[in-house]
Amino acid sequence: MAQEQKSINLVAPAFKGLNTEDAVLAQDPSFAEVANNAVIDRRGRLAARKGITNLTSIKTVLGSESVVGIHVFRDSSGNTKTFSVGNNKIMSGEGTLVDETPGAYTVSANDWRMVNFNDSIYFFQRAQEPLVYSNSSGAVQKMSAVAGAAGVTSAIYGNEVLAAYGRLWTADFTNDTSTVYWSDLLQGHVWTGGSSGSIDISEAWPNGFDTIVALAAHNDFLIIFGTQSILVYAGAEDPTTMTLSDTITGVGCVSRHTVQSTGSDLVFLSHSGLRSLGRTIQEKSAGITSLSKSVTSDIITLIDAETDGFDSAYFPEEKFYLILFRGQSRIYCFDTRGALQDGSWRATYWPDSPIKSIFAGDRIQGRMLVGFSEGIGEYGGYTDDGLAYRFRYRSPELSLGDTSQLKFIKKIRPTLVGSSGETIALRWSYDFGSSYGSSSFIPPTSGVSEFGVGEFNVAEFSAGQLAVRTSINANGSGSTLSVSLESDINGAELSIQEINMLLLTGRSL
Amino acid sequence: MNLLGDLLGLGAGGALTYRAYEDIGAAGDTARQELTNLAGTMEDKLGFKPYGITSATGGQFNVSQGPDGQVSTSMQLSPQEQALYEQQLANAGMFFDQAAMPTAQREQEVYDRMRAAQSPEEERQRLALESRLYNQGRGGVRSAMFGGTPEQLAMAKAQAEQRDKSMLAAMQFAGQEQQRQAGLGQGMLASAYVPQAQLLAGLQPGMSAAEQARLNQAAAAQAYGETYTSGLDALLQSRMSQANLASSLGGGLMSGALAGLFS
Repeated sequence: MAQEQKSINLVAPAFKGLNTEDAVLAQDPSFAEVANNAVIDRRGRLAARKGITNLTSIKTVLGSESVVGIHVFRDSSGNTKTFSVGNNKIMSGEGTLVDETPGAYTVSANDWRMVNFNDSIYFFQRAQEPLVYSNSSGAVQKMSAVAGAAGVTSAIYGNEVLAAYGRLWTADFTNDTSTVYWSDLLQGHVWTGGSSGSIDISEAWPNGFDTIVALAAHNDFLIIFGTQSILVYAGAEDPTTMTLSDTITGVGCVSRHTVQSTGSDLVFLSHSGLRSLGRTIQEKSAGITSLSKSVTSDIITLIDAETDGFDSAYFPEEKFYLILFRGQSRIYCFDTRGALQDGSWRATYWPDSPIKSIFAGDRIQGRMLVGFSEGIGEYGGYTDDGLAYRFRYRSPELSLGDTSQLKFIKKIRPTLVGSSGETIALRWSYDFGSSYGSSSFIPPTSGVSEFGVGEFNVAEFSAGQLAVRTSINANGSGSTLSVSLESDINGAELSIQEINMLLLTGRSL
Repeated sequence: MNLLGDLLGLGAGGALTYRAYEDIGAAGDTARQELTNLAGTMEDKLGFKPYGITSATGGQFNVSQGPDGQVSTSMQLSPQEQALYEQQLANAGMFFDQAAMPTAQREQEVYDRMRAAQSPEEERQRLALESRLYNQGRGGVRSAMFGGTPEQLAMAKAQAEQRDKSMLAAMQFAGQEQQRQAGLGQGMLASAYVPQAQLLAGLQPGMSAAEQARLNQAAAAQAYGETYTSGLDALLQSRMSQANLASSLGGGLMSGALAGLFS
């Protein structure tokens, strides 16, 4: 006798993002086992990330290297200049990269830290004399060459620099990783005299020893990140009287490039995953929150394997925080719209990314710039500088409530939004991949503007995002099942609205 | 016959006159001799008589005259007074020596003692501040404005001010001590001369008694001299009267004789 097919709806599957920690046990279709090159879009769906729109046409000075650092300089007069670093050069411009490295100045590495401060941009890197650019000077120059510079010695050639509380702060020197120097008030090139000074925190570390990795200003505190601990100083407006407000043991920072302020939180990558230093620290409660609980093991693996450094960006326009593992060309994307019940952020994964640096610190332009081998690009469009990238989704293993009963998938009916006409592969498997089947289809492309012209840049009468519904016959059986979907992203967005499955249940095992 | 009488009268008158002349001369010699003797006697009577005074504490004051007539005085303290005098002089010398010493070393000694008293509390305060700074994670603060933290600067300034005050106090103390030593020296010196002063003070009544005796002796000598000269005046007066009588008689005889011869 024929059995009625059960309809299983996975509505907005993986809207909780990637979960490689406990998805197998949770069997929650709102997580994803794989979510490559994906983001959580504004409707809460798993969607393909945007690509890279190349802004650079002439990159002679970059050679075959990549842009590994970007910073947009902006002064109080509204002057703007994009600086980038790579190929042991300081460069400016976006369309044409121009070498701005001062003469007779040898750059030995590209791990620059750049900050805007008082109408100048400062470049700091360990064991290198800091560089300064201002619109009035018109050129990047050594800090000691700035009129009125004082105390510019190797003692302040720090790896980390922070502009906060009316000063520059620097730390992490070649032979001293426990001292923080601060400049004179509003004079980032004056490091002796005035109200400049330093603090040796070697005896303040809660574990007895640590080394400074990063500095940050948050919620009226000066945060000093070590590798294994964090010191929180209050009253940094007057550095000579600032006092240790809190210490956090067992959590440190991996790299100064991973620290980003989201306004209410300070996000950073620790050796135990992505963390945030919330406002609650003010109340002396547990201020540390783990934001990457669902992918912590994977992140730790990447941290341990990383040899070429990190970069990160908080991009409020897209509401995500990116952490780049440069040497491994991998990026984790954390959605900041909201936290899960356990306080973590929804994660997705961007493997094999060409991105080598990220900058989203210029709130006025509202762009996220990325550095890659072709120069500087902007996060946007749906190709990586003309190349397609692969969007993948796989659900966790689902028992649908009863692992003892066989399930027979008869049909899979995905509802997708957007398409570039690329082939979409659908795959189903049973019992952790012991058996599987697959199928593919080519959806129609998204609609275009009337006559192919967008009036006022608005696609009049455009079909907009095309909803694709199709039905795929499936086969096989197993007590647990999973569904995966993947496609090249090549010019159009793609998101998963829903996956509907019709299945039969069989005997109990 | 008359001529002979006249010649005899002339001769007798001449002899008498000559005798009167000789007697007057003899009276002068007698007066000179007697006055000379009186002067010697008066010298003996009015001459200096050595004397001495002994105080109640055994000190002595003696006035004597040497063979050359020079008067000399001598004072002799009693052994106890002499010992006191010498002791006080030695003490005064000691204090004057101390007062004359440069004060720099003494200032340093006083300063060191003051600092020794102040240092433990300063060290406690320093340790408390250091502890507070380390508890606040500020132990390693170095600033161009303050050197360290503002609290460290404030403490350093306070301690420096305390050291300055101590230094000035030590200088003042050493100066006052110098003045005190000089005063003590002066006091010791003054007290050393107290026995002598007391001996001199004891001379006054003794010297008054000696002066009274000398005045009495002078008065007696004066009375003796006046009496003696009065007797001598009477003697000379009688001798002059006798001579004048003889002269008058001799002159009469000679006048009668000469008148007879030439009549």
